[in-house]
Amino acid sequence: MKTNRPALFVMTTVLLALAIAQPARLSAESATQWTVQVSKVDPGAVRLTPSFQVAIYENLLQELSKTKRFKEVLRDGDQKTANATDLILLKTTVEKYTAGSETRRAVTTVTGATKLTVRTQLSTPDGKIILERTVHGNVRFMGSNLRATHNLARNIAKTIKTSSLPERPSSVVTKATNSTPSDDVVVVEFP
Amino acid sequence: MTHPAIPCYCKPSAPLRKRRFLMAFLILVMACGTGAFAEDVRQPNNPPSSLPATHLLGFADARNNSKGTVSIEGDALQFKKNGKAAVQVKIASIHALLLGDLSRQVGGVPVTLAKAAVPYSGGRALSLFTHKKYDTLTLEYVDAEGGFHGAIFELKKGHAKGLRNELLAKGAQVSNAGNEPAKQTAEASSENK
Repeated sequence: MKTNRPALFVMTTVLLALAIAQPARLSAESATQWTVQVSKVDPGAVRLTPSFQVAIYENLLQELSKTKRFKEVLRDGDQKTANATDLILLKTTVEKYTAGSETRRAVTTVTGATKLTVRTQLSTPDGKIILERTVHGNVRFMGSNLRATHNLARNIAKTIKTSSLPERPSSVVTKATNSTPSDDVVVVEFP
Repeated sequence: MTHPAIPCYCKPSAPLRKRRFLMAFLILVMACGTGAFAEDVRQPNNPPSSLPATHLLGFADARNNSKGTVSIEGDALQFKKNGKAAVQVKIASIHALLLGDLSRQVGGVPVTLAKAAVPYSGGRALSLFTHKKYDTLTLEYVDAEGGFHGAIFELKKGHAKGLRNELLAKGAQVSNAGNEPAKQTAEASSENK
């Protein structure tokens, strides 16, 4: 019996690739079950200009959407959150801000950097913190001062993307106490 | 003894005529320059219906860092990119208008390359003269679903205040409408902690 060895090899490779890709796809699917609401940026005790606050907020919305980690990315005050059962909140508090100068950067190269440091928190609506990190965003050489906000938002999105989020509430139900299936009371416990 | 009474100014010499012509030309140029300057000064107080602006981010579905014109059309603030459909936001939904300024390097990639090409790091010195100051207008508004939005426009120096006043006159619901907005400076050297 004559066997077609190259075809067999290709088929085996394809099957192996599919087997490897399948778990990754499943884990990505489970991670995209959350809906995130981005809160307004809290300047804390720092005198941050309003344009920077707005720029961090808007850039965060864009960068989080790009990660495809969440089912939906909602704005602060959005009424859709009232119906969302799988909601987590993203809070950003500015910890440190160094105002730079594009001209100084262009003239001296080593001075005039714009630096931002924020504390970012992912929490449930009832206040349980899922993730907390300190993230930096700087502009050291090229670009306008507002570019620091873009870099910061990208770093926050990257941090969230690489972090492991807990399972969706419906899949980590630990106790259900009710007789009628239509209005179950669900107690959720996060790790 | 009769002399022909011809005054000297009746038949001016050629150099004098040339000087007079030059003087007249200079006066004309100065008059035109003064007119243009006066118009430039008047603009911020009485802004035209549409102002050239750069949309930095956040305004409806407009692309970031796009150049166009910002105008007030009826009860909406409109941004129109050259040759593209306009995007607009209801003025009544605006609840904060904040002025600021920023200084940025002009010229883009060609000037940056030219600076790099100047020997002995002379391009750095050139950077001292290739920056321009702009006004920024930061808006905060809510969409139909209550979602908070923020948008930033970059305008020519002196234009932002006029636009802000016009928006206030047209009914922007700004809580600190009576107060002079705190001028935000994007270029400061001190470190805030």
